[in-house]
Amino acid sequence: MDWSVIATHLPFLMKGLWMSVKLATLVVIFAFPLACLIAVGRISSRSWIRYPSAIFVNTMRSNPLILIVFWFFFLVPIIIGRPVGDFASVMIGFIVFFSAYFTEIIRSGIQSVGRNQIQAGLSTGLTYFQTMRMIVLPQALRNMMPALITECVIVFQGTTIAYVVGLREFLNSTFLITEITLRPAELYTFAAIVYFVVCFAGSSLARQMEKRKVRT
Amino acid sequence: MTFKYDFDWPMLLEDPYKEWIIEGVTTTIYLSLLAWVIALTIGIIIGTIRMTRSPWLRFIGTAYVEFFRNIPLLVQLFVWFFVFPLMLPNDWMLSWNRLPHIPFITALLALSLFTAARVAEHIRSGISSIPKGQFDAARSSGLTEVQIYRYVIIPYAFRVMIPTIASEFLTIFKNSALTLTIGVSEITSSAKAIEAWSFHGIEAYSVASVTYMTTTATVVLFMGWLEHRLRIPGLIAKK
Amino acid sequence: MSDPLVDIRDLSLWYEKFKALDNISTSFTAGKCVVICGPSGSGKSSLLRCVNRLEDFQEGDVYFEGQSLRECPNIASLRSNIGMVFQHFELYPHMTILDNITLAPRHAKGKSKADAEALALTLLERVDIVDQAHKHPAELSGGQQQRAAIARALALEPKLMLFDEPTSALDPEMIVEVLRAMRDLANDGMTMLVVTHEMGFAREVSDEIVFMDEGKIVERKETNDFFSNPHSKRAQDFLDRILMKI
Repeated sequence: MDWSVIATHLPFLMKGLWMSVKLATLVVIFAFPLACLIAVGRISSRSWIRYPSAIFVNTMRSNPLILIVFWFFFLVPIIIGRPVGDFASVMIGFIVFFSAYFTEIIRSGIQSVGRNQIQAGLSTGLTYFQTMRMIVLPQALRNMMPALITECVIVFQGTTIAYVVGLREFLNSTFLITEITLRPAELYTFAAIVYFVVCFAGSSLARQMEKRKVRT
Repeated sequence: MTFKYDFDWPMLLEDPYKEWIIEGVTTTIYLSLLAWVIALTIGIIIGTIRMTRSPWLRFIGTAYVEFFRNIPLLVQLFVWFFVFPLMLPNDWMLSWNRLPHIPFITALLALSLFTAARVAEHIRSGISSIPKGQFDAARSSGLTEVQIYRYVIIPYAFRVMIPTIASEFLTIFKNSALTLTIGVSEITSSAKAIEAWSFHGIEAYSVASVTYMTTTATVVLFMGWLEHRLRIPGLIAKK
Repeated sequence: MSDPLVDIRDLSLWYEKFKALDNISTSFTAGKCVVICGPSGSGKSSLLRCVNRLEDFQEGDVYFEGQSLRECPNIASLRSNIGMVFQHFELYPHMTILDNITLAPRHAKGKSKADAEALALTLLERVDIVDQAHKHPAELSGGQQQRAAIARALALEPKLMLFDEPTSALDPEMIVEVLRAMRDLANDGMTMLVVTHEMGFAREVSDEIVFMDEGKIVERKETNDFFSNPHSKRAQDFLDRILMKI
């Protein structure tokens, strides 16, 4: 084992890690609001909204992320009519894919707040909108917080898939350095450790919140 | 915005594409089923030792779950593929490298161990949902710890966990697509290859998507039926 | 007097910092039915659970037929001679009543399937629910479930039966049928330790009363004597309160 190879190439690797973090952050920032809309559609009483939302969610959830990335990588330039770059294509694929998963989390979060809570709110003279904003959503958000954080960890893990289209995120950077230095043992072990540290921190946070939720 | 694309669906039925598709579908199903069975076996063992009284066993179980859950599967695949053989003693490494289908075996190993951690977690939450009194009752009747788990706890937890066990099969099924990165010819890699050869991405990826979606639908329906068959009379299913 | 079946010596049990049992020494002879009563939190259930080593007591020891529970190399086999009935029945929901009853005889006592089932049916006959043998627990009423649980405990052919508040989770009309089954058992000479609030049952069926409070045995007397002439103030208060309710 010769760990100096990591020290030598650390700046390049960290640039890759930064790309992974950026990718994951942007995906969450865009996918979450999109998912809120779709979730409202999922529980809508109008079937012409409910069915398309359900079909979208189930389609995304029954396909592998890597295939969705291939789809969008192929389709986005055709639909837009010109190349938009690897980063944009991958981003769009990720956002669409993960919005389906966020949708399900938000939906069950909203449904975890019982109907009686809405009725209690309405009975005290609040409007439907006020009831949602002041009574249902705060509870829903609290209930779904652990699942949301877990999903963010999954998004971060999912960014590794950008590797397959050559986007220079952390795994791809590691791969490149391996090609140059022929030291896969050190480099992939290092990559595994870095991913573990980041993801473990995330899932520990989720677990902490889960505990707090149970207690109160 | 213009959408220009010449569809050519019949090409999928021509060689070599037809052959690639058949190989891809077969490999995906074969790999997923094998990995699922192994993952369930390991997952049940890990999940159960996390519930024992021995703090050492519990620690091993927890460490296993945290380790495999917090490293992306793709990275795990690379570690098993590129790093694991290097860690073996020299003569072992030689025999490992002489194995046929190394990508497939590596994929099987990585998928099973990864999914076992998820199964273990489901098992643990399934077992924790069993009232403590059930353990007392079984203990008080003179059953040994192993018997308690074998006859009382696991069969009960199993029924509670049918939906999660099914969804784990679907998770493996979808995750198996990642193994194309180490050269397993599963269905997504076939689709990618067809796209690369023919530039007919829509047709190619449709084949893969249809494979995943029909499998998902089939498993969901089958599990619904199974859950109904195995439901415990008198108990109202908790939704 | 013969050797006691259960001998408890200097037994103490803590849950974290809370002392649930405080240096208890007492013994129970074969063939007697003893009711353990006392206010909630007095340690009566804990004491009962220690007799089956379902609690890991920190100090003292319990001897069953002279065998130390603390040093028992095979606690499972010892437990298979003691039947136990729980407040919430604890039947295994995924098994039929018959399978619930035959499980331990087959796997802990090595009986054949046929023998175990024959025994189970006899016992179900005895508690009057033989027609429920092939149903699952959730299909039975609470009283039927508890009688099935009694049959399950009896299937061990035990030398001692432990009852941990067996009627506390039941509706009044079902309490009657469970108490009837327990009375029949006592009349047949079964050794029984019963934790219960049913003072009617205690007065009518039991031979002795153990009154507990704050982890100690405050008073132990023959049943008639206990009811007519409770010695301690706490037992008097307890009886006043509980008999007032009836």
